[in-house]
Amino acid sequence: MTTYRIEIDRSLCSGFGSCVEEVPGVFALDGDGLATLLVTGTDDEAVLDAAGSCPMGAITVFEAETGEEAS
Amino acid sequence: MRHDPTFWLLARASGLTAYVMLTLSVLVGLVVKSRPFAALKPAAVTDLHRILAMLGLGALVGHAAALVLDSTVHVSIPGLFVPGLVSYRPVWTSFGVLAAELMVLVYASFSMRKRIGPKNWRRLHWATYAIFGAATVHGIAAGTDTTRPWAFALYVAAVASVAVAATWRFLVPPTRAVARRTAASSGARAARSRGEQPA
Repeated sequence: MTTYRIEIDRSLCSGFGSCVEEVPGVFALDGDGLATLLVTGTDDEAVLDAAGSCPMGAITVFEAETGEEAS
Repeated sequence: MRHDPTFWLLARASGLTAYVMLTLSVLVGLVVKSRPFAALKPAAVTDLHRILAMLGLGALVGHAAALVLDSTVHVSIPGLFVPGLVSYRPVWTSFGVLAAELMVLVYASFSMRKRIGPKNWRRLHWATYAIFGAATVHGIAAGTDTTRPWAFALYVAAVASVAVAATWRFLVPPTRAVARRTAASSGARAARSRGEQPA
């Protein structure tokens, strides 16, 4: 089991692409130019930076074990 | 006929308004990036950033129109777009033309970011520092209110606040990530020294 579970609120995402720049292995922009997940979970804590870098606050990272929001 | 000062007053007021909106938009943009206030919703801050930039562009259109309609300084329509065509303080009015054109470009790039790619969109945003610099020089050197204490204070406050916010944006965000990484890697080292497998 991975450390972090990631959720993207696609209604908030407006395709700035900052998450893709932070962690290209986890995030990508799809055909609509919106962020999508390449994996649902990861151990890479850079996803926390990706969540922090999103100008729309569309990314939430949870601790997979407890289900609590990671910061 | 007596000289009608209406458009001259409007030109000055709208120029200063555009500058204030630009400054506020830059400050809010820097807040979006460095996230100093946890209570603020990022989406709302981003929206505010765009709205302020849009209001700045609106004031800019007013500034351009008032300058053409006014007869104190003679500004032709081509003079609004081509630097150097305004006979009044040509160098300093050219700074205004360039700042305005770059501002339109950066604003328009938001809707073109799918075509140009997010990376180029972000690169283009660096031009904002040039826009702010050029707008400040233009306001101080071409503006006729600069010698008034309130106007001078406005320029000083704008430059100081943007300088502080920009410095903070470059210094603060990495330290948070670095601190967490350092803590995590020292935790991993401690785990290894206890003979555990890293998570």
